[in-house]
Order: sequence, then C-alpha cells, then structure tokens
Amino acid sequence: MKQRIVVLGASGFIGRRVIAALAASDWAMPVAAMHRSQAALPPGVERISINATVESELAQALKGATGVVNCVTGSYETIVAGARTLFDIASHTPATLRVIHMSSMAVYGSATGDIDETAPLRGDLGPYSAAKIETEKFAARGGNIVLLRPGIVYGPESPLWCELIGRLLMARRIGDLGLAGDGICNLVHVDDVAKAALLALQAPGIEGQAFNLGMPQAPTWNDYFQRYAKALGAVPVRRIGHTRLMLELKALGPALKVAAIAAHPVGLSPPVPIRPWLLDLCRHAIRLRVSKAENVLGMKWIPLDDGLREVAAWFRAKIAA
Amino acid sequence: MIVDAHDFPNGQMLTADVCIVGAGAAGIAMALELIETGIDVIVLESGGLKDDRKTQSLYAGTVADERLHSPIDRYRQRRYGGSTTIWGGRCMPFDPIDFEARDYVPHSGWPLGIDALMPFYPKANRICEAGEFAYNIGAAFKLSTHPMIEGFESTHFTSDTLERFSCPTDFGARYGHKLRAAANVRMVLHANVTGLRLNASGSAVESVSVATLAGKNFSVRAGHVVLATGGLEVVRLLLASRDVKPKGIGNDHDVVGRYYMCHIAGTIGTLQFDRPLGSVWHGYDVSDEGIYCRRRLALTADAQRRLGIGNFIARLHHPRITDPAHRTGILSLLYLAKLFIPYEYGKRLHGEEKADLRTWLQHLRNVITDPFYTVAFLWHWLRDRTLPERKFPSVIIRSRANRYSLDFHAEQEPNPESRVTLSNECDVLGMPKLHVDWRYTAGDMETVKRALSLLADDIRQSGIGRFDYDPAAVEIEMTRYGAYGGHHIGTARMGNDPRSSVVDTDCRVHGVENLYVASAAVFPTSSQANPTLTIVAIALRLATHLRARHEQATPGHAAALAGVAAENIA
Repeated sequence: MKQRIVVLGASGFIGRRVIAALAASDWAMPVAAMHRSQAALPPGVERISINATVESELAQALKGATGVVNCVTGSYETIVAGARTLFDIASHTPATLRVIHMSSMAVYGSATGDIDETAPLRGDLGPYSAAKIETEKFAARGGNIVLLRPGIVYGPESPLWCELIGRLLMARRIGDLGLAGDGICNLVHVDDVAKAALLALQAPGIEGQAFNLGMPQAPTWNDYFQRYAKALGAVPVRRIGHTRLMLELKALGPALKVAAIAAHPVGLSPPVPIRPWLLDLCRHAIRLRVSKAENVLGMKWIPLDDGLREVAAWFRAKIAA
Repeated sequence: MIVDAHDFPNGQMLTADVCIVGAGAAGIAMALELIETGIDVIVLESGGLKDDRKTQSLYAGTVADERLHSPIDRYRQRRYGGSTTIWGGRCMPFDPIDFEARDYVPHSGWPLGIDALMPFYPKANRICEAGEFAYNIGAAFKLSTHPMIEGFESTHFTSDTLERFSCPTDFGARYGHKLRAAANVRMVLHANVTGLRLNASGSAVESVSVATLAGKNFSVRAGHVVLATGGLEVVRLLLASRDVKPKGIGNDHDVVGRYYMCHIAGTIGTLQFDRPLGSVWHGYDVSDEGIYCRRRLALTADAQRRLGIGNFIARLHHPRITDPAHRTGILSLLYLAKLFIPYEYGKRLHGEEKADLRTWLQHLRNVITDPFYTVAFLWHWLRDRTLPERKFPSVIIRSRANRYSLDFHAEQEPNPESRVTLSNECDVLGMPKLHVDWRYTAGDMETVKRALSLLADDIRQSGIGRFDYDPAAVEIEMTRYGAYGGHHIGTARMGNDPRSSVVDTDCRVHGVENLYVASAAVFPTSSQANPTLTIVAIALRLATHLRARHEQATPGHAAALAGVAAENIA
C-alpha cells in the first residue's frame, strides 16, 4: 500500500517537483497542500487547500500521512509561522510521521570556506536567512524531522536563478563579473532536491539530522554565468567591470525601480534592476560540503551541463511564448 | 592576509613553510594555488600596492649597448602585482618543438616535454583570464570563421593557431581579495630581499634577509624558498648571495646570468594583396567567453626542422607610424600623441626617432584630411579599449589599399655570451646592481631572414599578392628597437647537468635542497611565444610539487588532504 505524503507549498518551484517525483514513485501517494493556488498537478494527485499556519487545518491534512515535506516559502512571517505550526504537530505526533523541512544554505549566513552541516548557524544575511534559522530552532524541539539545506536551487521554472539570470545574460547586463563573481555558486538541480526529499523520507535513523545539498564541484558565479550564457547562446559573454556594476546599482537600479512603479498602471514591465544582494551573493566564498548527503542518503547529482541544457530549452520556450 | 613590513619590529624572525620572493605573475599564481592547503606561506614583495618611484629605482642598472636593450628599470615593475600591472596580455603556450633538443639550435632542449606543462596550462589560462585553453582556431571557434588570408596556401606556415588575450589582468588587483582572505598566506609589502643565507655547507637556504627602504631589517626562515621574480632579478639574488658560495648560489659552473634571451621582433616590408578587401582578416575574433583572439602566421615545426631555424610567427600590421607617407589620420594622431603613450607601448609604436617640423606637419595634415575614420577609430578606442575592463588588445587599422607591413616575433637562441652580471655599483640597500649585455647571434638573424624569404615565396606562389622587403634591412629592422622588452628569459636555465644549467626539472637550484626558481629565468629556450602564460604554468607546477613535498613531510596532514581530495573527486 502506498504511503500518504503531504507536500506543503506544493505550488512552489520546489514543491511542484517534489510532487512530481512522489507521483512517479512506486511507494508514495502525494497530497498537494496549497493555500490559494490553483496550480495544475500531475494526474491523480490529490489536492487539498489549507492554511498551513492554522494548526487544526494542518493536523487534519496530516491524518493518515507517514510523511510531510515542507516547501513553504515567502516572507519571514510566512516561513516561520508555517514551520512553527508543523513542528508543534511533529513534536506531538508519533515518530511514524517523518517531516522533511526545506531549510537553506542561508542558515550559514556570511560564513566562508568549506562548510559542512556542523558549522555554526548565522542568520546574518537578511530576513530569509533569519527565518530559516528560526525554523531550524523549532525543529530542535523534537520529532522525526530531517532538515535539507539546499544551495542555489536551479532548474526549469526557477524564477531567480534561471529566469532572472537568463534575462540579464541575454541583455548582457551580467556575464563575466571579474573579482565580483569569484564567489561559489552552490548549485543544486531542483530534481536533485526533490530526490533528496524522497530519499530522506525513506532513510532510517536520520531523525534530527541536517543535509547540505549542492553539487560537489560547484562552479564560481562567473563560471555559472559563462556556462549558462553559452547554453542560451547569449555569446560572446561580456566582461562587466566594476564601474559598470556600480552604475547598475547606483544609477540604473533606482531608475528602473521608479520606472517599474510608473509603468505598472499601464501594464508595462521595464527591465528588472540588479539588486545589491545578488552581487553580495556572487562574491560570497562559501563552499557547501555535501559528502554527508552522498554517503547517508546516497545522493548523486545531475551534471551541470545536463541541467543547463534543460534549463536553456525551457528558457527559450518561455521567451518564445 | 596582506601586511606591511613597515609594521614589523626591527630584527624580527618570521617562519613559514614556503617563502615566495616576488608578488608578480608567478608569485601570486603560486600563492593562489597554495591557499587552503594548510601550508604556511609568506610572500615577500618589495613594492606596495601602488607604483613608487623610490622602490622602482631599486631596479636600476646598466646595459652594455643602449641601442640594443632598454634601461633595465623599464618593462618590469617592482610593486605588488609585478609586471602584470603593465602587461599587454598576450597569451599562448609554447609549442612542442620548443622543448626539443634541436641540433641546429645550440644549447636547445628542455629536460622535460610539453606534457609536463599541459596539466597546468588550462588553469594558467584561467588565472590569466584568457578563457579556455584552446589555441587552435577549430577548437576555439566551433563555427567557422573567416580565413586570415583567403587563398594563401603554404606547407610552411599555418594561420590556424591563435594568440588569446588577457584583460590584461593585473594579478594583484584581480586576486587581492583572495589573498587578503587566505588564512595561510601572508603577503608582506615593502619587503626587499637582500640576501639568501645558506647553511655552512651551502646545501640549503637557512634564512632570507629582508630590508625596508625605511631601514628596518628582518629575516624569514622557511622550509622552501621560491624566487618568483623576473629573469633579471633572479640573477641578482643568486649572484649577490655569496657569503657561503663566493661565486653566488647555483653558480659553481658560471651559468647563472648566461643564456639571456628576449625575443627577436620587428616590423618589415610591404604586403600587398591583390584580392578584394574582405579577403584578408588581420583583426581580432571574439570567442564565446568574450576573449579577444587573433590568428597569426606561424612557421610549422616541420618547416623549422627542414630549414634548420628557430620558431617564428608573423602578424599583419599597419604601416610604420613614424613615416607620414601612410596617409592614415589615426596613425598620425598616434604619432602626435606619443607623449601620452606609456614608454613600454610607445617604443614599438612610434620609436624614439626624432622628427623634424616638416614631418610633424605632414602627420597633422593626415589627421585633418582623414577626419571620419579618425573619429570612428577614437570612438572604437574609447568604447572598446579605454572604458572596459577587458580591453581591445591593440591598434588595428583596416587598410583601404589591402596593404600591410609584417610584424614578426621570433625565437632567440640560447647564447652563453648573452648575459646578465653584477656591476660594481650598489643600490641604497647595498645590493649590487645588474649589468645587462644582451646579444643576438647569426642564427637569430638566419631564423628571421629565412622565414621572411619563405613567406614571400609562399605568398607569391599562392597568387594572392606579394611581400616586398629589403633582405639587407632585416638586421636593422630586427634590432631597430633592440631586444623585445619585458621578456627576460633563460638566465637560470633548467637542465639535468649542473655544469650547463641552474635548476632541475622541479625548478630547484642544483645543490640547494630547498631553493626554487619560478620565472622565465628557468626556460632553456625562448620559443616564439610570449612568456607570461608559461611562467604561470611553471609556477602552478612548482606549487603542486611543493604541496606534494609538504604532504610527504607531514603524513597526518597528507591523509587529511587526501580525504578532501578524494571527496572532491567523488
């Protein structure tokens, strides 16, 4: 008999892939929990509409389930409230309910160098990283909980790392950033994240543990931009120098923000500004060590060039549409 | 981290696993390669973060013939980043034939082949920011590109090899953030090495003596010492350290400073093509990674062997700028703007020829009568050269007459009489200054003469035009600006025999167990290639060697590193 697995945040970028992976398995019966979304689902997948921050609604949804995958994202409040509710239930429910919580490499904050799961947590990179730390604190209260800490989750439909970056590459607004792009881009394909979630649902004896998710030979951001640009045909890749980046941040950024506000009522969408946090990330020299996910969960990773081919095809189709 | 020797107490003794002397292309490449290895590294750099006249003057010395060699404080920079701060950025690897012992090139032959460098070239290329290690047109450009010269058929020359261009990358500025963040690397600025102190038997360096221009002195004691200075300064450091070895370190057989090579280069003749304008492409192609690449005419290895001459390449070039007969406004403007062009670039651009008033007026007329192309060129220069970080590499002038001159760059053969020695004068730190006696040989002239003659024949036989030049003027043209500036090669050559070489295949000075040289000084031959890429490759190879030695010496550490390596490979 198939196991009932509830996916919270099932309409999101990662949630959709987790649903698809569960639906394709021979052991899971996925249930897509969404708040207001009417996103399409694979055939035969059960849909429930709940507010995951309301304990009674969530408890009802989890009845009969052997696992739950929490892919809820959003504002600090949304992330924290949802996780608090889920982990409260988890701490009171029998150990047969395995909770997989999508945390993030953001919990390591501004740490640099090689980082494994034992590294101290620092929520010093803004509200998102603070929210993820807060949720991990709830997880420490007990329950059959496994934490996944993916790096930069890319793949078709990734709004940030594939769509936004793709548009910026096509417009030659990013490319080879020189020393500003020397940070490590800890990429992990969204299907690998989904696969890790499924493996973590089934693996015995990993309660309370955390797993970094990312490709072992992670490229620098410059390498990622170069390789993605090549896959998109956005060549030759342009060197974007320090002065140009500063102009983007200090002059073009504010102008585009104003333009976006002005253009909104008439339905126009000017180019998006490059945000300072993106450039901070491109400099960040943090390398996720992922041997634990490989050794304990048995993870193997989709090669970057394979992933980028798939992403480029999706991007071209999206632009054409 | 980057620290300043001015902040050290006088008389301090620093210790490290590896002490690298010089923070230029080789020193910084090595330091980068040793980050996060657990090896404690000190880099001693004479200069500071910016150019400083007083420090630069420590490079001053004398030359035997000022017409044949630039002043030796030119074309090299004594500062953090070294000569990469003024580098032109041209990258290309050596050719396999460069490593061979060739009976027609005296003293040729490396004790290793190109295979020993191939594992390091791709990374060297990345550090130089020259993109992929693809130096053949087919490998670099998946889609076909226009031929260099349509209809040119030759079994002696190929136009399929490339030179690729760095930004050009100032290594200090580009990689400073990594060096600052590295816990195991101490970059010490304003630290002038004044001597290598050997143990009593002369078998190892015990310490490195360092002084600042402000009068402080300190020492570094390190397991391994690497001289990562240029090919001239290596000689100075080895020969000036003579307290244990009276003839200087590594100089038992009087080899240090000999075999000094630059390159033989010049611009000659007129290439007139009979084909349509579009049939000749002498400019740059841009690879997918945004790298400027340029084809050139390279003499094949077979042709070199058949003719018994050295390596040789040539590029199509604009007419000589100094002669206003070219009637090209932008070339005349470059001539008139000579005062604003740095010495290192200007020398070969406009020479040091004195012009009379009539010549000046003719150049001015060229500028005035060719305004549209001049303005278009200036716009291109501003957009593609002045403003971007990745700079358009050189002046390319489209010839409306399909007429060019030929710019050649040839191997110089090793010659023990071409040498760098210590002079009797000392600098303010008490270091003997250098005296450079650069010489070329009949063999060097033969390489250029025979290659030019062969090229002229091949162009004529291809039926695409003609190459006219005065064979009697070859020597004048190849020495018009003297030895090619900035390429200081061969002064501490690599070899298996201490009687004819200074370092072994690991770049270790013969007879001194912990002293190494990472520099063009170790190249036994000069190739046609500019040296920087190979300097970086050699430096990376040496860093790998030192890492392996360190791991052998510290088994526990080695096991830990092996674990990391295995994990990374998995």
